[in-house]
Amino acid sequence: MSRLATTILLFGFLLFILFWRLDEPSGPLSRTRMLMGTVVEIRVDDPEPERFRDAVTAAFDEMARIERLMSLHLAKSEVSRISRAGEPVEVSAETATVLRTALKVSVASDGAFNPGLGRLIRLWGFTDGEPRVPSKMEIEEALVGIGPESLTLEDGKLFKSDRSITIDLGGVAKGYAIDRAVEMLSAAGVKHASVNAGGDLRLLGDRDGTPWRIGIQHPRKKDAVLATLSVADRAVVTSGDYERFFEQAGRRYHHILDPYTGYPAERCQEVTVVADSAALADALATAAFVLGPEKGLELLQKTEKVEGLIVAADGQVVFTSGLQEIVQWP
Amino acid sequence: MALRQIWARMTRLDRLIVVSVAFLCLLLFIGIGLSRPGETVEVYRDGELVFRAPLQEERTVPLEGSLGTTSLMIEGGTARIVDSPCPYKVCVGMGAIDHSGEIIACVPNRLLVRVVSQDESGKEPGYDLLSR
Amino acid sequence: MTSSAVDPVRLAGERRRIFLALFSALAIALHALEFLLPSPVPWFRLGFANIFALLALFLYDGRAAWSVNMVRIVVASLFLGTFFSPRFFLSLSGGILATLAMTTSRKLGCEKIGPVGVSVLGACGHSVGQLLCAWWLIVRHDGVWFLLPPLLLIALVTGIINGFVADALLQRLRRHPPFEDIADGAHSDV
Repeated sequence: MSRLATTILLFGFLLFILFWRLDEPSGPLSRTRMLMGTVVEIRVDDPEPERFRDAVTAAFDEMARIERLMSLHLAKSEVSRISRAGEPVEVSAETATVLRTALKVSVASDGAFNPGLGRLIRLWGFTDGEPRVPSKMEIEEALVGIGPESLTLEDGKLFKSDRSITIDLGGVAKGYAIDRAVEMLSAAGVKHASVNAGGDLRLLGDRDGTPWRIGIQHPRKKDAVLATLSVADRAVVTSGDYERFFEQAGRRYHHILDPYTGYPAERCQEVTVVADSAALADALATAAFVLGPEKGLELLQKTEKVEGLIVAADGQVVFTSGLQEIVQWP
Repeated sequence: MALRQIWARMTRLDRLIVVSVAFLCLLLFIGIGLSRPGETVEVYRDGELVFRAPLQEERTVPLEGSLGTTSLMIEGGTARIVDSPCPYKVCVGMGAIDHSGEIIACVPNRLLVRVVSQDESGKEPGYDLLSR
Repeated sequence: MTSSAVDPVRLAGERRRIFLALFSALAIALHALEFLLPSPVPWFRLGFANIFALLALFLYDGRAAWSVNMVRIVVASLFLGTFFSPRFFLSLSGGILATLAMTTSRKLGCEKIGPVGVSVLGACGHSVGQLLCAWWLIVRHDGVWFLLPPLLLIALVTGIINGFVADALLQRLRRHPPFEDIADGAHSDV
């Protein structure tokens, strides 16, 4: 009898282990969707995350709406419409908000970030068509009249100094979509969440009482992390030359273009910016990447409530004074 | 007692069968435990899981997307896209992935390939999210 | 015997038919009940319904076991509305392999094999059959075979339990008059 009882108990125990392992709580609610040319993941941390399923769907829908409004690829989008316009055009309050952020950074960075770069980006084929290196003449042509003063926003109207200037909000629009998604989640009562659009992040609250640990991709080692940041309630955006690139005649050309030269910016490998909004962080990251380690760091340092880290072309790392408190090196 | 009676009624062959099946289970569990360090490739189309396989199984998988067939190659413990109908072949250029959490996305073909770890507790990456 | 006026061969035949119908009906009820119970693992089934196939196999013969199991799978799926759904094919292929394993082991093992051994082999056959079907019809990739060890383990446990239950039932049933003339362990094909 005792042998039989032992056997039965043993099997019962094995079954229990099996059930217990499979009955484990599902963890955070995590959903992905393809939006704005990248994979967007929204994650909600909550004891009962399933109750926010609709809020996550609504946040995704909001991002899709902004994509339709601000995409350069869709002829019907508002950004396409104002790009084609010759005269000063009325822009919606929403697009105006994004434009204002873009123009603010454009002025602050002395044109290193430029929302009027649409023509040049199209020329390189980074958004549509086969990527290729344009001729010097084509590039010079595309750069004519696109200084930081060429676009102005007044009374809800956009003034372009030249009809041919094409607007490309690029990362700023993506950042704005991330910000809106976070606002939607917050309004729905979500306390802890992250929105991750292809490595551009914004965090809502902390992660169960401790800050989120955000790894920064190492610009040259694919599997390594350069540093880890402890942040809560903020946006973290990284721009790197490894993100999107093509090769022609043995040379690598990446997607962050220098508005002064018309060629890919060469002073940095990677820039990470921590800010309150993903839209601002994105614009600043691009601007600092183009400006390089010295001027870029100056820009990040002088912008309020912004921290950042720059990896120069030679691999040297510089960062803002306030970053010291939140960064951990491996 | 009745239970004891039944135990006694089990023939020798019954007991042999029970023991050998248990042994077979044990062997299979050990075999799988050794062959799989814990990483699996998952492919999603529009957020829906369409394919799932351990990274250790070498194979080439045709994946149907909205544009056509994307070929995913699993080789040497890594996964990469070797051919895709999308215009820019960004997904092919993204190279091989083998670490938990890494992804390859083919946006035009609406496919998402990701590596997930089977035992989450086993390997901590040291961060929650990766900014890149 | 109760009635000497009836042809004993015909009587045995009628009894067999009635009892198989009863076994099938009970098996269908258990099958449906198990379907309605919440299951911790998608394909986890206790497989109590198989007890009646075991009874049919040990009281009568392989053909009886086949009819109980096949009738159960088809009729239960009609009741549950899963007929010709993927679930039905999983159930069917599992049932076919289980019954095949049980009848052949009984045929080969003769008196040396008891209800527990047959039941365990049947349960293993069921798991393998389900996985074969899942691999062939539904997922079509080798990853499903990683489910084999846990399924086999479940099969072992449920197989032993079902075998014990069948053995206990057999002991009792053999004392009943309708089965008294069927010798313990003997199985003659009618």
